[in-house]
Amino acid sequence: MFKQMKGWFALTVILSLLALGSSCGNKATNEATPETATTGTPFTPTGKEGTVTGVIAYTGAAPAPKKIDSSADPVCGQSNPNLSTEDTVVKDGKLANAFVYVKDGTTADGKKIADYTFATPTDAVALDQKGCHYVPHVLGVQVNQKVKITNSDPTQHNIHPTPKSNPEWNQTQPNGAPPIEKTFARAEVLVPVKCNQHPWMKSYIGVVKHPFFAVSAEDGTFTIKGVPAGTYTVAAWFEKGGPNGTEKTMQVTVPASGSGKADFAFGEAATATSRPGGLQMMPAIEVPMIARH
Amino acid sequence: MSSIKNRKSAIKNMQRGLHRFALLVAGATFFLIIAGALVTSHDAGLATEDWPLSNGQVFPEMVGNLFWEHGHRMVATTVGLLTIGLVILLYRWVFLRFVKRLLGMQGHTSLHPGEPPQWLRRLGLIALVGVIVQGLLGGLTVKLMLPLWVSTAHATLAQLFFCTTVALAVFTSKSWVQYDLTVEEKGTLPIRYVCAAASATILLQLVLGATLRHSATWDKHLPTELLVAHIVGAIAVALILATATFLILRRHPEVKFLTRPATIAMALVGLQLLLGVAAYLTRLKSPDDPQPLHPMVGITVAHVACGALVFATTIVMTLRASRALRSAPSWVTGEVAASRGI
Ligand code: HEM
Ligand code: HEM
Repeated sequence: MFKQMKGWFALTVILSLLALGSSCGNKATNEATPETATTGTPFTPTGKEGTVTGVIAYTGAAPAPKKIDSSADPVCGQSNPNLSTEDTVVKDGKLANAFVYVKDGTTADGKKIADYTFATPTDAVALDQKGCHYVPHVLGVQVNQKVKITNSDPTQHNIHPTPKSNPEWNQTQPNGAPPIEKTFARAEVLVPVKCNQHPWMKSYIGVVKHPFFAVSAEDGTFTIKGVPAGTYTVAAWFEKGGPNGTEKTMQVTVPASGSGKADFAFGEAATATSRPGGLQMMPAIEVPMIARH
Repeated sequence: MSSIKNRKSAIKNMQRGLHRFALLVAGATFFLIIAGALVTSHDAGLATEDWPLSNGQVFPEMVGNLFWEHGHRMVATTVGLLTIGLVILLYRWVFLRFVKRLLGMQGHTSLHPGEPPQWLRRLGLIALVGVIVQGLLGGLTVKLMLPLWVSTAHATLAQLFFCTTVALAVFTSKSWVQYDLTVEEKGTLPIRYVCAAASATILLQLVLGATLRHSATWDKHLPTELLVAHIVGAIAVALILATATFLILRRHPEVKFLTRPATIAMALVGLQLLLGVAAYLTRLKSPDDPQPLHPMVGITVAHVACGALVFATTIVMTLRASRALRSAPSWVTGEVAASRGI
């Protein structure tokens, strides 16, 4: 009998290792290549930069926000009695919290945007925990730019980003604790942030190499400033629609000191078009971001 | 005459005390498994970054998900202390002898009657090592931010520790100590082997379940390959356990010592299959919820807890089969098998 059991035990161990191996295998493919290029041409504005502007539309009926049950922490209910989900914030058919950024492209003098290096801004981007949700819900930073995280609630939170290319961390921030300042060393769109104390709390940080990004406002509009003349792939990311959100891209040409337009649409059967600016048009491609784990 | 009787009843009391304490430890461990599963289902494991303290305190304010995480740690501490208590009970004669020898006192050099045998004491020590390693794994999973392998090891060792405490309760029970009706195995397929195979298959299924569960938090979808493997495992468990139960009921219907755990294990596995399907259905929907909600939380926790019970009853059945059955000489086995057509 012992012999038999030994055999089974060995089999069990082998199979469980295999199971573990197979599940870990997926992770390895997610490893991103380091991309903080230290070599390249430093980007210097010429004063003839333009902008990319647009509106993010949401077609069809938007799902109603879901009410959050915050009874596990009474402080949350007191400070924010109408706490609800913020994944699809739509007003008059326009979508807030879409992250728009220059993904790729070539400047007018023929250089790839990826070959430039950009100075890291010295000012920090704010992320507050207020009324048991994150303000803002979506934000962008440049690689190595500081994110300053504050807790305005009379309760404790923990901030737990779960990036794929940057190191994961988890830090408790009790009420009254000083701000936490963190940076992300690699570009990653987007890093999800959660609070394990209050599991409904979610935020997304877009980490980009350059400063050419924006988040759509409540009326769906956005403006990316300081873009050198050139032709670019502009991407818009929306939280829903796939395990890691949905990304749509389009080609936009920015004239010197002018403006390129990039209107996107999400929601039911949405197809976006890039409108005038007298420029190249290309239908947006919808990429459910499954491969981007 | 009466002194022999007194001694016998003293031994009986000792065995009964030990058994009751072992039952207490096993019961507390079952509760701990529920408390642990509640941590996972609420995604509360990282509600504090801190270990062994919670937010630098022994008793933090248990608001939000910290209630589950810190509550689990407090139940775990209680179980750890109870396990130490059990080891002290098992070793008290060894300890007394040691103290007496130190003090140069004359006394028993031989075993005290009613003293648990060495292998049983050692099993108690194994349980103690298990609970300590489990506590360290718990801390490690917090410090390393729930990597799959640590969380899975923590969930699996929890089940192994539970089954060790159940085994301790079995070995100290009256029905085990006084059992004297060993019969020969009938048929070509020995029940003891089928039972052992069932225990091993369930352990494998628990590991698969833990890997599945810790691969995706409530807001993510479960990986399909692991889910399929777990369902195949469920079918294997159901078949092999049904075989064991069938053989026991058919060959030894009068031996309650065996039929009882066999029927209970079978009933529990039926319940477990239903809970598994329900867990799958609720987990299919949970990524659309704003937070971990019932019935997902309740059902997944029940599935983990019932899994522990299936494992424990199968272990009881396996141990009892090894106690109540012995190999038959090979020529008998062949003849019986031929006459029965098994
Ligand atoms: C000593 C005995 C312990 C036992 C028997 C035990 C048991 C368990 C069980 C059964 C689970 C649930 C697994 C699942 O649902 O898949 C769990 C989860 C957990 N336990 Fe323990 N535990 C013990 C000690 C500890 C300690 C001391 C800590 C200290 C930090 C700890 C931290 C955790 C955490 C963080 C989880 C959640 C893991 C996740 O969500 O991935 N445990 N435990
Ligand atoms: C013999 C039958 C089964 C046993 C012993 C069993 C055992 C387990 C255990 C112990 C876990 C959690 C492991 C842990 O974290 O500690 C688990 C998870 C799970 N099982 Fe089963 N299981 C069985 C059958 C099934 C079936 C038939 C299904 C249905 C399709 C199923 C679906 C699941 C799912 C979806 C989870 C993950 C739950 C979650 O993510 O919270 N199981 N199983």
